[in-house]
Order: sequence, then structure tokens, then C-alpha cells
Amino acid sequence: MARFHDLEVTDIHKTIRDAVVVTLKPTNGAADEFEFTQGQYLTFRRDFDGEELRRSYSICAGKDEGLLQVGIKKVDGGAFSTWANEELKVGDTVQAMPPMGSFFTPLQADDQKQYLGFAGGSGITPVLSILKTTLAVEPKSRFTLVYANKGVNTIMFREELEDLKNRFMGRLNVIHILEADAQEIDLFTGLVTEEKCAQLFEHWIDIENVDTAFICGPEPMMLGIAAALRTAGLNDSQIKFELFASAQPGRAKRKSTGQAGTTQGNTTKAAITLDGATQTVEMPKDLTLLDAALENAMDAPYACKAGVCSTCRCKVLEGEVEMVANHALEDYEVEKGYVLSCQAYPLTDSVVVDFDQ
Amino acid sequence: MAEDMSIESYLAAGGVLTNPTNVPPRYRAELMKLMATFVDSELAGAAGFADIINQGPGIKERIAAAKIVLEKTDNADKVLRIMGEFGADTGRYATHHPWTARLDRDADIGQSRSEHDMRLAVFNYPMNGWTDAVVMNLLMGRAVAVQLAEFSMVSYQPLAEAFRGIAPVEARHAELAEEGIAKLLETSEASELQSSVDYWWPRVAASFGSAESQKADTLRAMGLRKSSNAELKTRWEAETKAILEKLGLKAA
Repeated sequence: MARFHDLEVTDIHKTIRDAVVVTLKPTNGAADEFEFTQGQYLTFRRDFDGEELRRSYSICAGKDEGLLQVGIKKVDGGAFSTWANEELKVGDTVQAMPPMGSFFTPLQADDQKQYLGFAGGSGITPVLSILKTTLAVEPKSRFTLVYANKGVNTIMFREELEDLKNRFMGRLNVIHILEADAQEIDLFTGLVTEEKCAQLFEHWIDIENVDTAFICGPEPMMLGIAAALRTAGLNDSQIKFELFASAQPGRAKRKSTGQAGTTQGNTTKAAITLDGATQTVEMPKDLTLLDAALENAMDAPYACKAGVCSTCRCKVLEGEVEMVANHALEDYEVEKGYVLSCQAYPLTDSVVVDFDQ
Repeated sequence: MAEDMSIESYLAAGGVLTNPTNVPPRYRAELMKLMATFVDSELAGAAGFADIINQGPGIKERIAAAKIVLEKTDNADKVLRIMGEFGADTGRYATHHPWTARLDRDADIGQSRSEHDMRLAVFNYPMNGWTDAVVMNLLMGRAVAVQLAEFSMVSYQPLAEAFRGIAPVEARHAELAEEGIAKLLETSEASELQSSVDYWWPRVAASFGSAESQKADTLRAMGLRKSSNAELKTRWEAETKAILEKLGLKAA
């Protein structure tokens, strides 16, 4: 299982008003673990008022740059991104897991391919890593980037993209689509929708010769682009997605765990929620929560029943339970009240658990 | 672009998810079950075949059987690694369980799974020697091909990609079985092979699950299923029947 490592901030600078580019250096000899493939992301953790938050941010550096760099855009109400934008400084230590993700395709030096990338706002970070690496590793390949933003002043990496166009003369084409700012060509104003893509494919993008398309942006934009690509004849294996849902909550709410008295009784009243329905069952204290749910004809998820796979995870909202084994959940999950139901026995006379959280 | 969309409506509209951080809890549970079913079936299938290798009538056959064991284990690893990104302890998962364990040959368990793993019911039945193993491998290999074609379209992109990579490898296993049967038919009695077909046909058919799955709509909305159990089974029956007839055998 992946573990967290310490990384030192060696550089931090703004790319636009509310987004920073952070350069990191693994400490404690963990450098090898942070070898990455273009398009991958890092998952960070940090304690905010005693509560651990985890956030994933894509690496924006190219593979050949010898740098580990992520871009972090400030999200309204986002605890982690606000902290990174306002307080993080050179010399600080942050914690992250080694790179993960499969938002890339293998590169071959003598390939001659046409790539098409779509990025919405901060969705540029992994796409930037991909296009820099691809153009450097495959000298005969070409890359077209369709980059959607609100306006000119919210375009992350705008200057860097201009520099890259010069560096990879004739092989990198960037089409900026701006929601609010008018441009010379009408087609380049507005949202990147399915219709907009279809229009781009008519004159601006040679869609028939595209080998692979990469999309990173908000959900509706990804759906529209994917639909247009399929209509244009691309199959699913040619379309690579990366979604960092806007649904990552700003800050998780702490649930107070009721300290309802532990007693000597041998049975527990368990309220178990699954698929939106709650059943209250009387169960012996020597039965696991999972078995109690299964015995009462609830279709609770499980696989290994050995505390290994984490399929049966549920959240304890009230009462206390004890796990006899836990090989899957991490400390921070346990702190939030998650348990492996196949290993969890009730301790209190009543418990409330939820499989839907 | 700024408009908000719930993950549920995004999935229902055909959207794909790409990493564990934004997977909703119920989706996570169904995805983990799908992956565990595949991993457990591959590990149990490989373990069953490992015992058969030395019963192969010649070196070529033993090489084919050993290759199948190796590749099924490798395929399990590919999916287990994705489970690992969700927190599963992958090292322990592969070794904590007796994957070679089988029930009696005439146990009648229908579609039910054993207490402690998620292997498809068919992998709980023991194989009865080399010929029987080759027949089982053909019938189940064809079923895996149909199921992988379906699951190569799941809405969790890393898993869909893993299945797309695995599909041709598994397809080759069914081809090896087909070649193996053709070879066996040169020397053995067709009736022996036919009785193995008769034994495995209903058991493999049962691995497609019940015709009235209550979950079908939920899974479809999550993008984890497209076809129904019955549709997949019908596809398998038609394809496999044609292969058997070509070999001079008949479906049960």
C-alpha cells in the first residue's frame, strides 16, 4: 500500500492571481518513489484543526524536466487550496503519496502521432505534463490543445504555453476558448460543448487523424467533448479522461460520536442504512455488523471477509464498535468513523451505521 | 463550464471516473465487488489449473497449461493493483486464502458463492483430469470473453483499461482449449469429451447470474453494466454452441 512521504517545497510562484505552481523535493531518500509518468497526480494530506484532509493535484512538469511540480488553483471554500495559495512557502515540508494515476499513453521515440488535448481551467496541469513530455520524447508527433477558460487573466501557464509553441515549432497548436472574453474568431468564444467541438472538427482540428485524445475538466465539459469525439469516430480506448471532481468537499464535517453508555447486555440494536433505506435489527454482540446485515436480507457489499479488501467499509455514526482485524483502512479513515463491517463487533447497546457514506 | 453536476448524473450520462478520490460510496462498493469477483475467479481458476499441468499428455500441452496459470495469475494482479489504490492490502489478499480449495464434483450450489471468497460459483467445482480441464477451459474461456467485452466498458477508466488489456490474453486461453480439444478428439472417444461438456455447460451458464437481477438498473445508472445477465448468457450460448458443433460436439 502507498505511504506518505515528506517533501520539501523548493519553489513556489503564482501562475495567475489565484493559482500557484509548487516545486517539491522528496526528502529522506524517497526520491525513487517519486519518479512519475506524465499525467499522474500526487495525493497530499494535511491536518486542519485536528482533522485530516486529503487532496489530489496533478503534476504539471514534463517527465524530462527533472522537476516534481504541481499546480494548485484556489477553490472557493477549499481549505487545502487556500492554504497552499496563501500560506505555503519555500522551505516548508508537505506530505504526499507517490505518484498515481493512469492518465497517459506509452510513448515511443519514433512514433509519428497526432494527439489532441482538452483542458478546462486548472485541468491544464496534467495535460501540460503530457504535452511537454510527448513533444520531447516523440520528435515526429504533434499535439493540439483546446484550452477553455473564463477569460484571458485566468489562463494558467499562458506564457509557458507560448514558449512551448516556439520550442516545438509547428508541432504544438493551442486553441484558447474563452467563456467571457470576446475573440477575433467567434467560434473561440463560449463554452466547450459537444456542438463547439463538432465545429472545431470541421476546420480547425484534423480529427480523422487523431490517435489519442486527453480530456481533463469539469464533468459537463468532459461529457460533451467525449460525445463529440465518439461521433467523430474515436473509440473508448482512444479517449483518456482525468476527472478531479469539483465534488471534493472543502472540509469534511466532523461527526460527533455519541458516548451512549456501554452496558453488559448481549444484544445490540443496530440501525443499518444501505442504498438509502434504514433497517433496525436486534443483533447479538458476537456477530459482525456485516453478518447482521446479511442475515437480515440486506445486500451489504463484501468480498474477502478477512479485513483485507475494504469492500465492506461502512461508517459508524453512533455507538461504538470494535474491529478484530484491519488490514485495509488507514488511521485517518478509522478516526472518521469508518470500519470494516466484516471485522466489526458492536460494543454499545445501540449502534447506527451507514454503508452509503 | 462552471455549472455544477452531481457525480450520479454525470455517471448516468455516461461519464467516467478516473481515481479513488471522487468515487461515491455505493459505486465504490459495487466496483470493489466486481473487481473482487474477477480477482478471486482468476486466482481460483489459476490454482485449479496448476494442479492439472502435469496431467498434460505432452510437453506442448503442459506448456500451454503452465502459460494459462501464469497469465491468469498475472491478470488477477492487474486488477488487484487497482483494488490496492482503494486501500486493499494486495500482498495479503493474494495469499490469505486457499484458492485451490474445491467442493465435491456433484455439489449443487447453483449460483451461490462460498462463504469466504467471491469466485464465480463455477470455480468451486473440481476438474476431473486433463480432458475435463480442457473442456472447462473452453466453455469458461468463452464466457470470460463475453463478460470481458461487457466489462471493458465500465465507467471506472483504470479498470476498463485493465480489462481491455486482459481480454486478448483470456481469448487466447479459450483458443488454446479449442486446439487442445481438436487434438484430443484425434485419439480419445468423443463421448468422454461430450460428458465433460454436459457437466460444465449448465455450471458455466449459471456464472452469468440470475436472469432477474434486482441490481441491474442501479448498476446501469452507475455505468458498471450495459447488457443484462440474460443478454450476455444468450451471446455466450450462441457463440459457444457454434464452436462445439464445429468440433463435432454439442451443447448440453
